[in-house]
Amino acid sequence: MIKRLTTLMLLVVMICFLDTPLAIGQSDQTGQRRVTGTYVITNATVITQPGKWLTSTSIVIKDGLITDIGQNVTIPVEAKTISGDSLFVYAGFIDLGSEAGVKRPEEAEKPEHYDPSNPPNEVAGITPERSVLDYWDVSDGSIAEWRKAGFTIAQLLPKGEMLPGKTALVVFGDTKSTNVLQESTGLFAQFETVRGVYPGTTLGLMAKYRELYKNAELKNQHAKLFTSNGNGISRPEKDKSLEAFYPVINKQVPVVFEANEELEIRRVLKLQEELGFDLVLMDLEEGSNLSSELLAANAHVALSLSLPDDKAKEADLEEATEEAKEAHKRVVEEYDVALSQAGKFEEAGVKFGISTNQVKKDEVLKNLRLMIDNGLSEEGALAALTTHPAAILGISSFAGTIEQGKLANLVLTTDSLFSEESKINYVMADGYLYEYDISKSNKVAGDPTDLVGEWKYTAETPGGTSAGEIRFKESSGNLAGEIDVDDPNGGGTVTRPLENISFDGKKLSFTFSIQVQGQKLTVQSKGKVEGDDFNGTISIRDMGEFSLTAKKTPDFKF
Amino acid sequence: MKKMRKLTYIICSLCLIATQHLGAQTPKGNVLIKNATVLTVTQGTLENTDVWVQDGIIKKVGQDLSASKDAETIDATGKFLMPGIIDAHSHLALDVVNEATAPITAEVAIADVINPFDVGIYRALAGGTTIAHGLHGSANAIGGQSITMKYRYGTRNPSDLIMKEAPRTIKFALGENPTRVHGQGKNIQPRTRMGVEAIIRNGFNEALQYEKKWEAYNQAKGQKNSKAVPPAYNLRLQTLADILNGEIIIHCHSYRADEIYMLINVCRDFGVDKLVFTHVNEGFKVAPELAKYTMGASVFSDWWAYKFEVYYSTAYNAAILTENGVITSINSDSDELIRHLYHEAAKTQRYGGLSDEQALALITINPAKQLGIDEYVGSIEEGKQGDLVIFDHHPLSVYAVPQMTFVDGIKQFDINEDKDDQRLKVSPTERVEPVYLQVEEESCMHGVELFTEGTVLHHSY
Repeated sequence: MIKRLTTLMLLVVMICFLDTPLAIGQSDQTGQRRVTGTYVITNATVITQPGKWLTSTSIVIKDGLITDIGQNVTIPVEAKTISGDSLFVYAGFIDLGSEAGVKRPEEAEKPEHYDPSNPPNEVAGITPERSVLDYWDVSDGSIAEWRKAGFTIAQLLPKGEMLPGKTALVVFGDTKSTNVLQESTGLFAQFETVRGVYPGTTLGLMAKYRELYKNAELKNQHAKLFTSNGNGISRPEKDKSLEAFYPVINKQVPVVFEANEELEIRRVLKLQEELGFDLVLMDLEEGSNLSSELLAANAHVALSLSLPDDKAKEADLEEATEEAKEAHKRVVEEYDVALSQAGKFEEAGVKFGISTNQVKKDEVLKNLRLMIDNGLSEEGALAALTTHPAAILGISSFAGTIEQGKLANLVLTTDSLFSEESKINYVMADGYLYEYDISKSNKVAGDPTDLVGEWKYTAETPGGTSAGEIRFKESSGNLAGEIDVDDPNGGGTVTRPLENISFDGKKLSFTFSIQVQGQKLTVQSKGKVEGDDFNGTISIRDMGEFSLTAKKTPDFKF
Repeated sequence: MKKMRKLTYIICSLCLIATQHLGAQTPKGNVLIKNATVLTVTQGTLENTDVWVQDGIIKKVGQDLSASKDAETIDATGKFLMPGIIDAHSHLALDVVNEATAPITAEVAIADVINPFDVGIYRALAGGTTIAHGLHGSANAIGGQSITMKYRYGTRNPSDLIMKEAPRTIKFALGENPTRVHGQGKNIQPRTRMGVEAIIRNGFNEALQYEKKWEAYNQAKGQKNSKAVPPAYNLRLQTLADILNGEIIIHCHSYRADEIYMLINVCRDFGVDKLVFTHVNEGFKVAPELAKYTMGASVFSDWWAYKFEVYYSTAYNAAILTENGVITSINSDSDELIRHLYHEAAKTQRYGGLSDEQALALITINPAKQLGIDEYVGSIEEGKQGDLVIFDHHPLSVYAVPQMTFVDGIKQFDINEDKDDQRLKVSPTERVEPVYLQVEEESCMHGVELFTEGTVLHHSY
């Protein structure tokens, strides 16, 4: 059986690659085709799966597959060599819940004179028949960014409300490939509703979910009767929303239900208990206390990599009342509880994967390290990125570990993955190699202290020249700031906080918003910092771009 | 050998059933309260009397009782013991109150949105309330199925709060709220009181047709070579059919006498007799009808004039209804009033001169009757559930302060062990949670967006 599967896999992969070597019979005029699809990583430390380390090991990759692995491998002549002497090789990460490259479908048009208490399914956010692949842009830039973070395979989540559509499994390979592994891996469901129509709240949503599910069962039954013995059976009316439930009812795919908080998790478990579908719980932020219930329900878990911010926890309470200090203790406790969720799930034997749709790319390893500091084992963290999601998705036969015959999805790091100094040097996805610059120090962002202080600015706008002050502050590596601007509503100045501050040592950008006649206008500024000078622009949507220059006021230190 | 195995199997499965049974149960306590003035509500006042609760049930009421060793003994000399207070109209501890998007939403279930972490539950317990009826809001002519909750604070599991013995209930609403939300707000039926009646009658008639369809299908499908195909499932109509079959008690938001009498007639036409009116500010005008045809009226003590339909009101309402034989209760409809319903009941002695027993019945046995749970709770009687409150003074005195509250024999509140912070769940990202800043009012129109005005209402009843 395994052998047959492997043969099948090989066949599938071969078909995938057919067009590369055969279809192009002449030299590539664009010069973009890669020279070779064969690679060898030599003499590296290879972590084939969580807890299993091989030293001085080489890996041969050919046309998207791992073809050989060991200390004495035969290196094909056409192979491009990656010297792995100081590198650590991991299986490519698998993301159970990604939105990389996924567009939000256009809002459904509301029919004229429609009844908001009984809207068409599309208007109510009920579109389980949609496939996320129809809204996926394989060339979207964010895919490359997530790949840079180590992700090579992802389950894509469609965007929308209550039932946005079907999830799909893709590989983050070359943009010329389709990169699709599985077209439908689950039916996505969320506690989200469309404003102003039925169902409008969790109350209506749960009732509607039950009703859709029951009706899908009945329609499925009707359709089966009709196909088996059509004589005397009325025609089953087509209903694409209900038909989308059939694979769930027939236990071919699970419902992928987003639930962040404990009460949401309990609500999903309640629905599952009533209706009996296979379940993947998506984007969990808590719920390790429900581990035994989750295991009993055979529910798979995708833990969100998002962690609570520590602003409240780090609040300065020196001058606070005793009562506030007591209350703050519980905030700190609860913060620690949030960080220990992953470790507690592991301890309880819940084999969870992770989802990224609620975090930023640079938070992935940072948050995993925080989880490790709070009880998760390093093996557990790696398993959550590789073997566990592979098992949950049923793709362990070709993904999740580094073994001969598996798809060539690899992450090459400069140190063991979870150590602070570790950087990702290469990612191989679908047999394509991507190299990343590690020469720069870990601090890609510039030294924020260069900015901290007061800056006097002048801006040229059609309304004339205006001037004022920008002040930057820094706390634990994060920049904050504010700007004084002329009050557009006349008279005096107003101070607005700066948002989205980004600074890489040279390029600086930020935004702020002002109220003009009750309307919120967002102003964007970007430019270059050289020494104590900032040369840049400000722009307001639809109004154009104007120059903004600023000079830092020297701080006098004695 | 084979027999042995069979026996083992049976024993094993019995054990399994037993553990499952235990697992599904909420904790029950043992307690002996000694020497209290026991206000039984149904059987008079008993001086210097002991009440013994075993496994959550009142085992004995008498004198010089001794309990098993595992029961805590509490000396209540000079104190007053009454049954746990029951609130027939509350929106406390619910994440959602209104599914205000359709004039009939009988399919939605408040049981889905219970929030066991609401610290308001503890505050209610500190006011002696042990049971509350969590109601859907009043935005729709027929709102959602409501839920009778026992305030077993401390559990994280919403279903532990559900009083499993309680029959199903559902919210109806008449008058200004449904007509404003749907008629004015969305330009659909109902726009007037006539529309509300039409919505309800149409709903019931559709439910009858729906039921017939399924009956026909269920009959046909069992026959040989059946060609029957299942009709569409409709949870909304199924719920309405359940009302018509007497499985669900209606609790209807209402103010004016004419609309109260309207719904009585609608229910009589459809053979529905499980009907309670709530608010009922003009109930005193139709008291004999309420007494004859309904399971009673649940009223405010003295609250009115917050909108046009609530001007013709009187603080004598509860007393007039009581004297006319209507099963009457006083409810809170408020996270704040639920903490001192004993004061609310006492007002009927100032306005209407009700006796102690009559006044206490308004917040104990009468709401229990309206919720269909009077065989389990609502008075201090042997065999009933051990929901009890100890007061330092008579609960109808303005000086009364609850000292201890028990649910199923478990002490849920003790004024001497009242920690400052009783929250079960704390946000890791909020320095000051809103719970410190204000009492959130979860009222009848909570969360309803009036699309014409673009505002969210929080304070309309």
